Amino acid sequence: MKVKKMLAAGMAVTMAATLGLTGCSGGGDTADSGDTANTAAEGGDTAAASEDGIEKPEKITIMVDGTVFTQVNARDKFEARWEELTGIDLEIIQPDHDAYYDVVGQTFASGPENWPDAMILSSSYYSGYAEEGALWDMTAAWDNSELKASGRVTGEDVIENMKINGQLFGFPVTRGNGCVTYVKKAWLDNCGLEAPTNYDEYLAMLEAFTTGDPDGNGVDGDTYGVSAAGIIAVEAPYTNYLPEFYQDAYPSFVQGEDGVWYDGFTQDNFRDALTRLREAYAAGYIDKESLTNGTNDCRNKFYEDKFGVFTYWAGTWNTNLKTNLEANGRDGELVALPPIAELGAYTERNSPVWCITASCENPEGVFKYLIESMLDGGDMQTLWSYGVEDVHWSTKAETVCGNTYAEGEFHMKESLEKPGTQYTKAHIDPMLSIVTWENDPGINAVPEESKNSQQIFNDNCVQAQLIPSTEEMATYNGDLTTLKNSIIADVVVQGISLDEAYARFESEGGAEWSQMIVDSLNAME
Amino acid sequence: MSNKGKGPAIQKNAAGENKRPLLVSLHYYRGFYVMFLPVLIFAVVFNYLPMLGIRYAFCTYKGIKAPEFIGLGNFEKMISMPGFWTAFGNTLVISIVKLLLNTFMAVLLSLLLNELRSMKFKKFAQTVVYLPHFMSWVVTASVFTLILSPTNAGLVNSILIKLGIIDEGIYFLGSQDWWRPMYYMVNVWKDTGWGTIIFMATLSGISPELYEAASMDGAGRWNCMRYITLPALANTIITVLILNLAKIMNLFESVFVMQNDAVIKQSDVLQTYIYTQTFNSGALPDYGYTTAVGLASSIVGCILVLVCNKASFKVRGRGIV
Repeated sequence: MKVKKMLAAGMAVTMAATLGLTGCSGGGDTADSGDTANTAAEGGDTAAASEDGIEKPEKITIMVDGTVFTQVNARDKFEARWEELTGIDLEIIQPDHDAYYDVVGQTFASGPENWPDAMILSSSYYSGYAEEGALWDMTAAWDNSELKASGRVTGEDVIENMKINGQLFGFPVTRGNGCVTYVKKAWLDNCGLEAPTNYDEYLAMLEAFTTGDPDGNGVDGDTYGVSAAGIIAVEAPYTNYLPEFYQDAYPSFVQGEDGVWYDGFTQDNFRDALTRLREAYAAGYIDKESLTNGTNDCRNKFYEDKFGVFTYWAGTWNTNLKTNLEANGRDGELVALPPIAELGAYTERNSPVWCITASCENPEGVFKYLIESMLDGGDMQTLWSYGVEDVHWSTKAETVCGNTYAEGEFHMKESLEKPGTQYTKAHIDPMLSIVTWENDPGINAVPEESKNSQQIFNDNCVQAQLIPSTEEMATYNGDLTTLKNSIIADVVVQGISLDEAYARFESEGGAEWSQMIVDSLNAME
Repeated sequence: MSNKGKGPAIQKNAAGENKRPLLVSLHYYRGFYVMFLPVLIFAVVFNYLPMLGIRYAFCTYKGIKAPEFIGLGNFEKMISMPGFWTAFGNTLVISIVKLLLNTFMAVLLSLLLNELRSMKFKKFAQTVVYLPHFMSWVVTASVFTLILSPTNAGLVNSILIKLGIIDEGIYFLGSQDWWRPMYYMVNVWKDTGWGTIIFMATLSGISPELYEAASMDGAGRWNCMRYITLPALANTIITVLILNLAKIMNLFESVFVMQNDAVIKQSDVLQTYIYTQTFNSGALPDYGYTTAVGLASSIVGCILVLVCNKASFKVRGRGIV
């Protein structure tokens, strides 16, 4: 009886405490538009002409997603090392990775007094928050930075691409990366084919993989060419899982070389892309389940030798695919294809960026000591790229997950979160770094195939355009995207004609919404 | 309780009615009020305070700048959007069909379970049919995506092809004709067992004497079911239908995990429409608009509750709460 009473009392106290705490955190007024805009503008104007006079912050508060070491992966050690290197108190707010942007939205809505000094934002949120005046303009800080003056930056185009009307509100510390097409080498050999260089060869390869016996099991036609998680991806760049079919077509808004915006969905080249997809789908070259596939489904099918061509992330994923194929008793050798002639270049997604909020009291200091220092080519870059020595990586002689390393040989340690696997990187993927890094301690630890696929991608990619946010975009693009995706599925999977498809686009308001968004984008210039 | 058999002092008011002073009453029952306090706070903080957000339905609001009042602008936009009406119609159709089908199947299964003579097997069967209810919708959708796959891996298509009924696999979840029947089937599989609980409870309350008397009069099992069991269940069936009718606007998870681009016109419901508007706009969402759609959905739900309450009064002689 006493135990029950104590439990009941405990639960009541816990509930009351929870409610009290929840109530406390919900306070704060919504930001006044004028205030935030003024702060943002002041930030841009008052950026130091050089970094000499920048005051070192005593404390920096950051909000990060799961790409930074989480609590279970010894975030406290990471934090302690960062503080040791800078002498600045670092407070990390790290919501659950899947709920990150919900928490970001709630934090912004709770008022500037609750905003962290800096945070990670994906490109789709970045432009929206920038235009709402919630982010500090770091253009001048970047222009006057030691990092820019050092000449070590190789990815200035990546930084330039993140500018909105010439102003930089977020700093990408890495390239965005993207997908490259992998083909199973053994399948090519079994079919007597070379790696394709144009669409006809690509299609012939898919036909051979679909109708022949590329896996050598003695049965013709029990495999197919290519699979994807959706005929069209859910986020930009939308065409990255089936790029050979889309080629130069793009379903969203594009700014032409003349600076004029247009909707790629309404262009003739998009009709051509839909025709290619429909024909390949009907012929069975594309996985019949592509509409309902998740990326995990595709990977599993790839490992089970159900198909032979997989467009997936360049770099580390090459090694992951190889390892898993071999674990399934398959030949793991993959050919990373340079883009076929009609495609020209793969599309690189916009990188997530580090932003400084408009409420930060010392934004120049945060830029210098937090963001700029991540790419210092020394201890700090090592920390953000690999983590803490002897926690996340080591050079000591030891055996990790069955791999034996000699004294002095750089290697990643066993994951604390997933025992039996090794860490591969920290927040910054060294292969995607936008600076030269002569003393990269882990450069030799990167498997050759990963380097190779990353190099092929980096040499053959164009960056996805950053689409500014407008009122019309916010109002109509949700419905428009749903309609476009439905029409694409109708054409490819249901096999309806292009004329029917585009008549539906007209009749259900798509053409009108599209034009309104295009007009609003062009009016911004 | 120490206060058992006692009560706060009762006074007579000017009209001569017995009345306990409020403070006296509060003090006397203070223990109960303290126990009730966490629940009250919980309800106020999580159920009533969030209702203040309804005001955003009349504003444009993106979470940074102060909301800007636009009157009925969001509602005007809402009724002008074909996507809203598609979602609205789908919500009603899918929910009502699902409700009728699930209730019918639950009654049917209850009757079958009730006919089982072996108690051990009956309990085993009940446990088996309850289990799907505890599977998450994500897992359920994954399992049925595999079972309904149009490739050789799909169990249903493999059987149909082997039986010679079809030549080529059907993409059940990617077909505009097949998606809804499959959705209903998955719902029946998942929820029918759980739905039998209330009917089984009613069945167990039917007096065995009625069956004995009927069998003495020469009634077989079919007639017993027709003239005793079903009439006894009728009131419960109507009650279950009425209670669930009030919830038909709350359809999200089951649809969200099973829908795809090819069947969006057949599957988009109001909650998934709101989700798309919030997260797929490619810009900061306008919470004002999505709140307006949510409010419209709530109003329809409210009307249904009132209608159900009225119907409940007629059928059961009391309301649904």
